[in-house]
Amino acid sequence: MLRSLAALLLLSAAALADTADGEALKAMGWDQIVNEARGGTVNWFMWGGADNINAYASDYIGTALKRDYDITLNRVPITDAAEIVNLILSEKEAGVTDNGTVDLIWINGENFRSMKEAGLAFCGYTSLLPNDALVDWDNPAIANDFGVPVVGCEVPWNTVQFAFAHDSAVLAEPPRDMAGLLAWIRANPGRFTYPAPPDFTGSAFVRHVFIHAAGGPEGLLGPFDQVKFDAVAGKTWAILNGLEPFLWREGATYPTTVTQLNELFANGEVAFSFNYDPAQFGLAVQAGLWPETTRSFGLRDGTIGNTNYTLIPFNSPNKAAAMVTQNLLLSGEAQLEKARTEIWGAAPAIEISRTPPAVQAGFAAIKTHPSVIPASELAKSALPELQAGWLTAIEAGWATNVGN
Amino acid sequence: MRERTRLLLLLGPAVALVGGLVLGALGLALLRSLRLLPLEEPGLSAYASVLASPGVLASLALSFWIATVSTLIAAGLALAAAMLLRQAFPGRRLVAVLVQLNLTIPHVVGAIGILYLISQSGSFARLAHAAGLIAAPGEFPALTHDPWAIGIILTYVWKEVPFITLILLAKLQTLGPDLGPVARSLGATRWQAFRFVLLPQLLPALAAGAALVFAFAFGAYEVPLVLGAHAPEALPLRAWRSFTDVDLAARPEAFAISILIAALGAGLLALHARLILPRRGRDAG
Repeated sequence: MLRSLAALLLLSAAALADTADGEALKAMGWDQIVNEARGGTVNWFMWGGADNINAYASDYIGTALKRDYDITLNRVPITDAAEIVNLILSEKEAGVTDNGTVDLIWINGENFRSMKEAGLAFCGYTSLLPNDALVDWDNPAIANDFGVPVVGCEVPWNTVQFAFAHDSAVLAEPPRDMAGLLAWIRANPGRFTYPAPPDFTGSAFVRHVFIHAAGGPEGLLGPFDQVKFDAVAGKTWAILNGLEPFLWREGATYPTTVTQLNELFANGEVAFSFNYDPAQFGLAVQAGLWPETTRSFGLRDGTIGNTNYTLIPFNSPNKAAAMVTQNLLLSGEAQLEKARTEIWGAAPAIEISRTPPAVQAGFAAIKTHPSVIPASELAKSALPELQAGWLTAIEAGWATNVGN
Repeated sequence: MRERTRLLLLLGPAVALVGGLVLGALGLALLRSLRLLPLEEPGLSAYASVLASPGVLASLALSFWIATVSTLIAAGLALAAAMLLRQAFPGRRLVAVLVQLNLTIPHVVGAIGILYLISQSGSFARLAHAAGLIAAPGEFPALTHDPWAIGIILTYVWKEVPFITLILLAKLQTLGPDLGPVARSLGATRWQAFRFVLLPQLLPALAAGAALVFAFAFGAYEVPLVLGAHAPEALPLRAWRSFTDVDLAARPEAFAISILIAALGAGLLALHARLILPRRGRDAG
C-alpha cells in the first residue's frame, strides 16, 4: 500500500511538467527548450553550509527564474554530495528512470566520477546552452573535473584555489612554501592540525604534502600509477608521521571535518585554517567568527585549484527547467553577482573577456575582502588537481599509515 | 473470536509499522549485505571484507567500551537516584523534575552542549584560563575527541540516567512503600532490606532499562559523530562512511556492519528475555 501511495504521489508530481526525455530535448532549439521549461520546478540539491551561498541561490537565482521563466527553484540543502549520489543510485536500482527526486546537483571530483561511471548523469547537452559560449572548454582545468573528462555531462559554475588563513595579529609573517610550513609546525608544537581524510579539505591538504614529497606534480598527472604512487607514498607517510608529535593533541586525534578545524582556528587553538574556497575566510570574518586581522596566503610552490559544476541526473523529470537554470547560472550577470565580495566572492567559471562590457566593468570594480587573497594572486602558482584514482589511494593510504 | 478481532485491530497499526518499516528495512539491508542484488555476485564477501578491514576490531572494542561503561554508570546512578526519590524530603518534587528534565532533550543537542562545556576551548577551559589554572587551550585535559571516549560516555550517562530512573520509579510505585519497612521490622538492616528485598524486585526493570541503553549506545551515530576521535571510529560511523564511500562497491559493507550491530542488539535483548524475564515471573509475579 505504501508503495502504491508513493507511486501515486510521484505520478501526480510528474504530471505537471515532464521533460524527463533528454534525447527529445537534445533535438530541440533553445527557444523550444525554454518553452518546455515554463512552469517547471527544479529540485536543486546543493551543499547548504553557508548562508550567503544559500541566499544567492534562493533569492537571486530563484527570483530571476520565477520572473523570467516561471520556473520554481526548490533549493534542498545537503551536507555531502556523496549522499545524493547514493540516493540517485538507489533510484536507479529501484527502476526510477524518469521521475527521480533530483533535478540539479552541485558537484565535482570523486562524486562526479561515481555518477559518470554508474551512468547516473545526463550527458551531451551542454553545447545547447547559449551561455556555454562563455566557457573556455580548451582550458584543461575546466574540461576535466579532477582529471575526469567532463564531455558534456556537467556545466562549470565556480573555480576555486586552495589557500591558507592565519591571524596576522598572532603570526605576522606566515611560511610561504610547503617546506617552510612543515618547519614551522615542528617549531611550534600543538599549533597546527588538519582534518582527517576522507574530509574533502583535509584530503586536499594531504595531497599538497604528497605533491611536495614527489618534488612537484609533473610525475603524478594522468591516470593512477601504482609504482609511482608507492614511491611517493612512503615519503609522504614518513613526513606526516614525523609531524604527528608536533600537531594539535600530539596527533593522537585529528579534526574530522573542516568545520571543526575552523572552530579550532576561531578559538585560537591552532594558528592556521585552510580552505578550497578562500572566499569562506572573508565570510567567517564578516560573521564575526574570525578576527578582523585574519589574512590568507598561497604557497610559492603552488596550491591546488579546481572547478565545481552543476549536473542534471539521468532521471530528472525537469531536465528543461534544469538546463534553463544552468544557463542562467553561467550568465555574465549571475557570475558577476556571486563574485561580489558581499554576496559570495566566488571566482567565475566563465571567460570574463567574453562577457558584455558592463559585466566586464563590474568584474573590474570588485574589491576583495582584506582577509581573502585575490584569485589572480593565487593563480600565479597553481597546482593541477590529481585524478580521482590518486585521491582514493592517498585517502586509503593515509587511513592505514598515518591515521591509525 | 471477537476478542481476537479486537486484539488484531488494536495491535494492527503498531505491527504494521514495526513489521512494514523496521523489518522491511532490516530485510532489505540483509539482502544488500549478502549482495543479493541484480548484477552482483551473492555471498558473504561484504562480511569478510568488513571483518578483514584495518581497524574494525578497534571500532568494535570502542563501541563495546562506550556502551558498557555508559550503561554501568547510568544504571548505578539511576538506582541511587530512584532510591533517593522514593523517600520523602523537602524539595523532592523539584529534584524529581530536574532529574527527568533532560528526557526531552535530543541526544545530539546534549552532545553539542557537552562539547561547549568540556572541550579544550569550552566553558570550563575558559573558566580555568580565567582562574589562571591553564595558559593555553591545549593544557586543559582532552575530554572530547579523546581515546577513552569520555565525552561520549558523559553524554550517554547524562541522558540515560533519567531514562532508567523513570523505569525504576514506575516499578517502585507498583511495589508500594511497605516492603522495606516490613523487612526492617523483621530485623533486617537497611543494607539487607535493600540488598535482599528491594533489589531483587527491581532487578528485572533495571536489567531491561540497561539492555535498552546498551543496545542504543552501541548502535547510535550522532553522539560519536560530534564527540568522537577520528580513529578508531564507533561502528555506526564506520557503517555510514562505507555507505557514502566514493567507491560504490563499498555499500554492501555498510549494510553488513549495520546488520552486525542489529544482530548484537537483538542478541542482547534475547539474552535479557532468557535470563531475566523468567525470573520476573517467579519473583515479582
